[in-house]
Amino acid sequence: MKFIVSIKMVPDVYAPFQIKDGELLMDGDRTVLNAYDASAVEEALVLTEKHGGDVEVVCIGSAKASETIRKALAMGAAKGYHIQTNGDETYDSSSYAQILASFLSDKEYDILSFGKQSQDTDSGLTGGMVAQLLNLPYATNAVGLEIEDNKLVVKRQGDSGQEMIELPTPCLVTCSNDMNEPRIPNLKGIMASKRKPVESLSVSDLGVDATALEAVSKVTSYEPVPARAAGKKFEGEPEEIAREVAQLLDTEANVL
Amino acid sequence: MSTLLTYVAISDGKIKRSSLEVLSHCKSIADAGGMACEAVIIDENATSYTDDVQKYGASKIYTVEGDAFKQHQNGSLLKALTKVNEVAQPSLIAFASTEGTKDVLGALAAQLKAGVVADVSSFNFDGTKVTAQRPMMAAKIMGNVNVTGNPVLVSVRSGSYDLKENPATAEVVSVDVTVESGDLRATLREIISATGDTIDLNEAEAIVAAGRGVKDEEAKALISELASVLNAGIGASRALTESGVYDPSLQIGQTGKVVSPQLYIAVGISGAIQHTAGMANSKVIVAINKDADAPIFEIADYGIVGDLYKILPTFIEEIKKIKN
Ligand SMILES: Cc1cc2nc3c(=O)[nH]c(=O)nc-3n(C[C@H](O)[C@H](O)[C@H](O)COP(=O)(O)OP(=O)(O)OC[C@H]3O[C@@H](n4cnc5c(N)ncnc54)[C@H](O)[C@@H]3O)c2cc1C
Ligand SMILES: Nc1ncnc2c1ncn2[C@@H]1O[C@H](COP(=O)(O)O)[C@@H](O)[C@H]1O
Repeated sequence: MKFIVSIKMVPDVYAPFQIKDGELLMDGDRTVLNAYDASAVEEALVLTEKHGGDVEVVCIGSAKASETIRKALAMGAAKGYHIQTNGDETYDSSSYAQILASFLSDKEYDILSFGKQSQDTDSGLTGGMVAQLLNLPYATNAVGLEIEDNKLVVKRQGDSGQEMIELPTPCLVTCSNDMNEPRIPNLKGIMASKRKPVESLSVSDLGVDATALEAVSKVTSYEPVPARAAGKKFEGEPEEIAREVAQLLDTEANVL
Repeated sequence: MSTLLTYVAISDGKIKRSSLEVLSHCKSIADAGGMACEAVIIDENATSYTDDVQKYGASKIYTVEGDAFKQHQNGSLLKALTKVNEVAQPSLIAFASTEGTKDVLGALAAQLKAGVVADVSSFNFDGTKVTAQRPMMAAKIMGNVNVTGNPVLVSVRSGSYDLKENPATAEVVSVDVTVESGDLRATLREIISATGDTIDLNEAEAIVAAGRGVKDEEAKALISELASVLNAGIGASRALTESGVYDPSLQIGQTGKVVSPQLYIAVGISGAIQHTAGMANSKVIVAINKDADAPIFEIADYGIVGDLYKILPTFIEEIKKIKN
């Protein structure tokens, strides 16, 4: 099976940030491979190690995104595609989906694998958009993948249970990080990644209409999340504080 | 006249309360701006829910029925929503942000060439443009977002709006959608339902959530007992769904469910941002943790520092007494 995994560079959610006049100020150097995409790469590697095939990754992002691609190559992916941007475009999921669909339209693959959402925006839209643009059967929020007779069997987390879905190939799947623990690249992997091919492309190479890429969903400003009122902390003899809080839930908070 | 269309989701034979929250909000927007408020139900027995839906102010309800809509499948849902969009021509389609919605929102936006914004915590609509707020960066930051398009699709986090009855007599319009095997391509083999607990976390008034501190059967039994005394749903952190101690459907947080009950009791949960992203909007938060410096205490209204094995038995007894 041939996998192409779509990976994104995202800001590290643990990095300190400031909001000034509605603008978000963060250390632009602190970026990571989106955790959900790392799980997608991991699962593709596990499945190809078991059933044969290979794994390539594609990433749309600024020059710095080459680090994100290297990370996936160090995990074990064979090849990377870097669709370079300036980094100052106001792209949304729909812009990325159009670029990816146009990139993928002349590629060969059995399975396109995505993260179920970006860790920084939690949008969760790009995978479904690409599936529709390429007219592929798809499943989202996968927590387990298996290959059976050239079919992809997806265990997806639904609202009240897990759905087992069988997809013919070619198909698309979006992955939850609940599916595995992505491997940490070892030294050998890191060394090997330096010799692996990364093909660099630009959005205009792909013949995408730049005006159609203008985001339809625009963040106009950021604000801090309203802080919760300071609570009370109870320390001391367990039975006493347990009783005290139970009482307060009744008389003060009125939630019993 | 612009129309706001709310997709009313049905799950396990019940209307999802979160979709009625969205419908209630759409009704207020429609009334304020002189727009029409309509709804769509897509289910094997869609018509049987119209009476309950019209209580929330929809003036027209589209129904799509048939065996193909017995269980969630993205192919059939997409086809039905595409058809209803054609018939209703709404300016905005609003959804509750369920896993079912998340499964189709991106594909539907691409199919309809619509504007889209997912998982908002509030929104407004002026007839052409949606302004919304959505949590970002693991819910550490709020983003103000503008979205245009025709239509615009919006999905809303559960608990963002209160239910507001607004009885109207709705015109019911049945829309025929035939789903052929070519529409589906994917085959739903089976659904492995969550066992035991039947309280839907998105609708629960109270939730008792267990974390890694809940180590053995004894602690699990205490969690179950507390939940039963409070008539609460049971939730869990990723530490416990990952290790199989609780069903994955019960995971709360960035990867799991977003909940906002009246009362949330976090037991043995440290309060990682990816967990609090899913519960920080609960009305009253109680945390029980033996580590006085656990980050969960920063957002807890009532923080109990102590060993859960010592705290819970008395806590449960005391609540029982109060309840009687
Ligand atoms: C992209 C991404 C998405 C994620 N999504 C989610 C998500 O949806 N939901 C989620 O929960 N996590 C999620 N996580 C994982 C998250 O970062 C944490 O690892 C997880 O929430 C930790 O669970 P925990 O608090 O139960 O465990 P721990 O962090 O190990 O905390 C256990 C706590 O229990 C306390 N404790 C231990 N014994 C006792 C006792 N006897 N009495 C009282 N207290 C005790 C300890 O003091 C400690 O504070 C995600 C991570 C990533 C990277
Ligand atoms: N810039 C990008 N480059 C490559 N893949 C992306 C990019 N943006 C989004 N994706 C993919 O789409 C998924 C969901 O993105 P989102 O719609 O932003 O939540 C991610 O997990 C990635 O797999």
